[in-house]
Amino acid sequence: MAENEIELTRRCLGGDSSAFSGILEIYQDRVYSFALRLLKDPQAAEDAAQETFVKAFRGLSSYDPACPFAPWLFRIAHNAAMDALRARNKTVSMDAEDFSDLPDGAVPVEDGVGAALDAERIEALLASLPPLYSEVLLLQYREDMGPAEIARVINAPEGTVKNRLFRAREMMKAKMAADPELMQPFTGRGRIEGETVI
Amino acid sequence: MNADNTEKLIAKAIAALPYSSPRAGFGARVMAAIEEQAAAETWLQRALKAGGVIVAAWSAGLSFLAARLIHANFGNIAAALIEPGGVSRAFSLLAAHGALILAKLAAAAPLIAGWALDAMPPYHEMTAAAILCAAAVAPLARIRTAADKN
Repeated sequence: MAENEIELTRRCLGGDSSAFSGILEIYQDRVYSFALRLLKDPQAAEDAAQETFVKAFRGLSSYDPACPFAPWLFRIAHNAAMDALRARNKTVSMDAEDFSDLPDGAVPVEDGVGAALDAERIEALLASLPPLYSEVLLLQYREDMGPAEIARVINAPEGTVKNRLFRAREMMKAKMAADPELMQPFTGRGRIEGETVI
Repeated sequence: MNADNTEKLIAKAIAALPYSSPRAGFGARVMAAIEEQAAAETWLQRALKAGGVIVAAWSAGLSFLAARLIHANFGNIAAALIEPGGVSRAFSLLAAHGALILAKLAAAAPLIAGWALDAMPPYHEMTAAAILCAAAVAPLARIRTAADKN
């Protein structure tokens, strides 16, 4: 956690509510983007992000300053997003049909394809996954959290997180293998440079 | 394609995803929502405090009335207590006086209930109850004082 964040959280915990606007500024895009990628609806994502910050402010006394702030905040965001998904009657389940297209073992992707995943394509891939799986990928790679921190965010055992991460990656690979278009070279905005996969 | 490389590619692609921003004024809306909730909580706390004050006022009023009742009838009570079987007679005397006071208080209850049914805000209701409480206690205290003089 950056020095500025530590200072802001310390001031908030000390009763200085104006310091919370600094925390809000630091995290609003991260929390909103996280909610948007799970809910796929800007208004619902904004509502979930707002709920996250309001609950975070009210629950600041339960935050342990010895622990990183981001997992604590993302846990509230996770709960808000899951509540929103449930309210929409979207299934947030671990049923087998959620990943019926997932083959066993590593997925071979067509050889010799110059690989590049631009932002739009990876967004599309993530959006095609059930929220439980896209969520762990986002937390690990975009928010740079380890399995232990993700476990705290989603309130699940670390083994479950690792399992979900594995399955999520396999699902991504399966979808990439099924749609070679995704692996075509792309020169647009958000391209990941320097990756040629053989 | 090598599976490890694919995983690295996925990881890099996700890590490079841009963050989206909420609509302009998001921060202000969040802070307004926080303030709104804080204001609602303040009202709740005030209402609870007002409730506590009213309960305390009623308790004090009833204790005061009980003390005056005993004081006003101290001679009768003392005499009754000295006589054989006087304890039960003293309690009966106190119970009769208490029942009279409760009947007067009960007469004010429909008025309070009528106001409550009009769906007044809780703090108005509590203020009204406090005024009624004072209005009920003061005349009763005066009655006992007049009885003392006689």
